[in-house]
Amino acid sequence: MIHVRQLTKHYDDLTRGKCIALGGVSFDAIPGQIYGILGPNGAGKTTVLRILSTVLRPNGGTASVNGYDVVTQPSLVRHQIGFMSANTAVYDRMTAWEMVEYFGRLYGLQDEPLRGRMENLFTRLQMNEFRDVLGAKMSTGMKQKVSVARAIVHDPPVLIFDEATSGLDVLVARALLKSVAELREHGKCVVFSTHIMREAEKLCDRIAIMHRGHILAEGTLEELCDRHEERDLEELFFRLILHHDEILDLEGSRQ
Amino acid sequence: MNWSNVKLILMREVRDQLRDRRTLFMIAVLPLLLYPLLGMSFFQVTQFMREYPIRVLVIGSPVSAELPPLVEQDRFAGNLFTDPSTARLLQLSLQPSKAAEAGTPYDPLEQARRDMQQGNYEVVVYFPPNFAAQFARFHNSLLEDKSGESRADAQIPNVDIYPNLAKDASRAAYRRVSEVLDRWREEIGRQNLKDSKVSPAAAKPFEIATLDVAEIGQHKAALWSKVLPFVLLIWALTGAFYPAIDLCAGEKERGTLETLLSSPAERIEIVWGKLLTIMLFSMATAILNLLSLAITGSFVLSQLPNLGPPPGLAIVWLLAALVPVSALFSALCLALAAFARSTKEGQYYLMPLVLVTMPLTILPMAPGVELNLGNSLIPITGVVLLLRAMLEGNYFKVLPYIPLVVAVTLACCWLAIRWATDQFNTESVLFRESERWDINLWIKHLLRDRENTPSVSEAMFCGVLILMIRFFMSFALPMPHTFRDFAVLAVVTQLVVVATPALLMTIMLTRSPAQTLLLRRPPLIAPLAAVLLAVTLHPAINVLQTVVNRVYPLSEQFAKELDRLLIEPDSIWIMVLALGVMPAICEELAFRGFILSGLRHVGHKWTAIILSSVFFGAAHAIFQQSIIACLVGMVIGFLAIQSGSLLPGVLFHVVHNSMGLLIKQVAPTLGQEDHWLHWLMRNASDEGQLYHWPVVLCGLAASIAILLWFQRLPYARTPEESLQEAIDQQSPQWLPS
Repeated sequence: MIHVRQLTKHYDDLTRGKCIALGGVSFDAIPGQIYGILGPNGAGKTTVLRILSTVLRPNGGTASVNGYDVVTQPSLVRHQIGFMSANTAVYDRMTAWEMVEYFGRLYGLQDEPLRGRMENLFTRLQMNEFRDVLGAKMSTGMKQKVSVARAIVHDPPVLIFDEATSGLDVLVARALLKSVAELREHGKCVVFSTHIMREAEKLCDRIAIMHRGHILAEGTLEELCDRHEERDLEELFFRLILHHDEILDLEGSRQ
Repeated sequence: MNWSNVKLILMREVRDQLRDRRTLFMIAVLPLLLYPLLGMSFFQVTQFMREYPIRVLVIGSPVSAELPPLVEQDRFAGNLFTDPSTARLLQLSLQPSKAAEAGTPYDPLEQARRDMQQGNYEVVVYFPPNFAAQFARFHNSLLEDKSGESRADAQIPNVDIYPNLAKDASRAAYRRVSEVLDRWREEIGRQNLKDSKVSPAAAKPFEIATLDVAEIGQHKAALWSKVLPFVLLIWALTGAFYPAIDLCAGEKERGTLETLLSSPAERIEIVWGKLLTIMLFSMATAILNLLSLAITGSFVLSQLPNLGPPPGLAIVWLLAALVPVSALFSALCLALAAFARSTKEGQYYLMPLVLVTMPLTILPMAPGVELNLGNSLIPITGVVLLLRAMLEGNYFKVLPYIPLVVAVTLACCWLAIRWATDQFNTESVLFRESERWDINLWIKHLLRDRENTPSVSEAMFCGVLILMIRFFMSFALPMPHTFRDFAVLAVVTQLVVVATPALLMTIMLTRSPAQTLLLRRPPLIAPLAAVLLAVTLHPAINVLQTVVNRVYPLSEQFAKELDRLLIEPDSIWIMVLALGVMPAICEELAFRGFILSGLRHVGHKWTAIILSSVFFGAAHAIFQQSIIACLVGMVIGFLAIQSGSLLPGVLFHVVHNSMGLLIKQVAPTLGQEDHWLHWLMRNASDEGQLYHWPVVLCGLAASIAILLWFQRLPYARTPEESLQEAIDQQSPQWLPS
């Protein structure tokens, strides 16, 4: 469903010259599964997911979503995905209903199906009580629900959540995770990035541990634990990251 | 592009803006309040100004039976004013005129200066102490002796006025006081004539009557035609700027831009949706302001003679001009706003934008500036001048300029929209983060992180640099007088202005000079085909040149001068080398080398070709040449890209230039029936078309065939061009199942 091969991305930086955000990342995600990307801040998670959502273009490598290439067929890719991240806010001067309706229309849904779909979504996500509340007046939890509704209004086969729970309180985060888990039940292909171990452990079917633009380890939770002989994900995570830092530092000092 | 998405985005943005209190205030409330308030304060200020008296010091006001009264009590005499009631506005202080004391000569100028500097008076009038006495002697001599021989000792001294002309108030006072003194002198003259028994008509045998042929409507038009375009432009800009900042920088700040970018809407659809919204608000702001101004203005001006509400037809012209002006401003604002990281940063860009557009708006208000060829080519100025002429009712005079103004405005709009779209396609702009900017670091970055070929901005910079050097060189260099001067000048200009910047920038800013300057071997037949194309295309270009010269005639003196320099060269070979080969090599290196290679990173072959040709055209000194050069530049750019080499272009350029030069040599002899070129060309002493029509058409057909051959050559695409082609091949209509 999602195939990422040797994806690279670098930025121009005045002081350091080329700054590598992704150094050849590869992974696959399949329908009915939640693929977790776990990594500290600055690991490159957002960059990968922004490339998948076609907002950024990679410098090298390929990525395809549902058979469409993210570089050459961006508009087809965007029809296949629902993208939600900490950076995708809701409009202040639009009500919840208007916001979801607007995106539904941008996805090309016709009036009747869109209406039915929205009624269904608003009931399922318990959003009916703030249907006509402007974005500026919503609480964080309400905004998060609107974002979810906005991302899935066109019933896309692929969903991408980038640090979707950051800044949410426990209750709202829990509700969001529940919605994500439900999407898996509906057979969607879900990519979920986070820096919180618990979320990855509880939610994800496969986990990729990412650091400094590289995937250090990848597999189901059990596979990872077995391979590295470490039952605790947190310990595993720190070991991998420290080890990687040491290698990079060594390379750096050799140069 | 899917227009239903554009409409969807447009509707949303409009609704969004209408829910924003600040926007509503700017576009609706402010204009409704502004002009009535301005009108009110105008009235108050004028009342205040009218009441404000002018203080005049009169030293030694003469009183004598022979003189008509100048001062009555503490005012100038009422009969010295057109409107006697205005006499009270001149507040007089009277001082007797001192006679010079022994030893220290009395200096009235010194006294006046002291008084003026202390700010006690706006103007000082000085009558010498002996004024009245001398006048009496003069008057008596006038009565006694009619021959006028003994009047020499009856010289009347001057009356001195001391204003400070650097001060507005003093200048106004000076005008009024001299008017009064003039009338007084006239009165004296009349009196004198009467006393000498001469009819006053002897001095003033007739009156000069001023009969203004301007109708009242024209006065109105003249005033409104200056005010309305200015107001229109200022508010179109303001109305575009604030929504643009909110819709781009504001969305970035609030984090909704990424939401929109990850939706299926294409970037171009987003740009158009936002652009149309901004345009709508720009136009609404301008219209509301004009309406409010017109209503308030008609009330205010109906109080003044000869003026009244603006002519009705003005509305039509204003609305017609508003559309392109708004489009241009909106696209500019959109691009700037897309570049800004935050609304705060966006606000900073207002001032530079105003600084650039304001002179273009104010230039037409300067006295004597009228719509002509040069002015109509200046982006906003042309529109304002056209609008002014329309408001004044000079329709037929400006008719020829309408296509030009429209074309220039449309071209600017197109460029601005392209720029805005590019901003939305540039991720470094969309996801710009604050970074420490440092000129040293930046230069280091330019040199260290250079690519094989220059970037788009480096190419643009090179083009602008060449134009600027050319501009300043044109002042520094002397006018050529002989052919030798001319040839040397041409070679130096080419080397210094065109080749040097391009080559230096190539060495410093690119990794692969060969790739940048297209120093590659072309396909075998390509050079030959290019030479052939130059020959076959020449008749058609000549026809075009004739048309251009007819539409925009060269100044006769200039044309003669040019011909004189070119017709009698010292040596034909030096001429071809200096004016044919040299420019071809230098210009190709710059325009098809560095600039075109850089511009190709835009992703569209033809955009790059057209932009580089515009630079190429602009780099020609004579406007008539520029138009042709621009078109020829497109052909050469096409050859360069298709063959992947500079050589065919250089050869085309050499042959093209040389043919033009050589034909000038043989042209005068073409009239003879037995001339060997008679079958090809006709006598062109009238600067008309040179070739026979069948030759032109055959040449054109052959040229098209050659161009089609070039079109079929496989050419190397830049990564951006390949990407763009792939994106364009996506099926445009895709609906979810």
